Amino acid sequence: MASLPKRIIKETEKLVSDPVPGITAEPHDDNLRYFQVTIEGPEQSPYEDGIFELELYLPDDYPMEAPKVRFLTKIYHPNIDRLGRICLDVLKTNWSPALQIRTVLLSIQALLASPNPNDPLANDVAEDWIKNEVGAKAKAREWTKLYAKKKPE
Amino acid sequence: MSKVPRNFRLLEELEKGEKGFGPESCSYGLADSDDITMTKWNGTILGPPHSNHENRIYSLSIECGPNYPDSPPKVTFISKINLPCVNPTTGEVQTDFHTLRGWKRAYTMETLLLDLRKEMATPANKKLRQPKEGETF
Repeated sequence: MASLPKRIIKETEKLVSDPVPGITAEPHDDNLRYFQVTIEGPEQSPYEDGIFELELYLPDDYPMEAPKVRFLTKIYHPNIDRLGRICLDVLKTNWSPALQIRTVLLSIQALLASPNPNDPLANDVAEDWIKNEVGAKAKAREWTKLYAKKKPE
Repeated sequence: MSKVPRNFRLLEELEKGEKGFGPESCSYGLADSDDITMTKWNGTILGPPHSNHENRIYSLSIECGPNYPDSPPKVTFISKINLPCVNPTTGEVQTDFHTLRGWKRAYTMETLLLDLRKEMATPANKKLRQPKEGETF
């Protein structure tokens, strides 16, 4: 296996020694560019009672290229599609090598706190969100209960 | 080169498949767009010209298991076809088909579909008698 760039080693060490509250990220033993991630739903959001699983991969060109991130837990959110793909500017056009795994995961957590139905990835969900926000949020809460891991009390 | 994990590899293939490739000779996509495991796929092969397959569209199912792409997918013809590498009763592409037998991590569903199409056009296979069009296994 090709040796791991210093930057990735440093980022990984920091994620473990100084974790972000509500977020975990651990590399797989057999692929140190591939992380198993969990994000706690932010308080006061429809996701607040759940812990969501994600996967993150640092492509060969990282940090010139953004990390690839996907939800593994089903989630009802206008910017996350049925395959768990995320529509987020910092993962696409607004990526900069100055950003890190940590900042990306924080942005995803922030996206859970404030969905943006005007820049949707899941069109049907976004439409629901715009037409009937109360109903959409209730559904997001229901899906959290159904599919996400429960936060320990 | 680092190893792209299964799911991100399949997402790449999905995006490529959605855009379409080549001169419309093959296509593929997820069988169930809700399936977060991305296991079951549909494929089509347009029969190669100057063969008994010309102008036929063959449907296939492709199953990418948890060890894909380290292990090859399982491929089954849905449309009936007479080809030595295809099981005549189930439609399954035999695991000794050269692309499956010599499977490499760099191979994709596209590799497989294009190789099957080439197989249909080999001198030994292109004149094989084919079942009536539209029949399924």
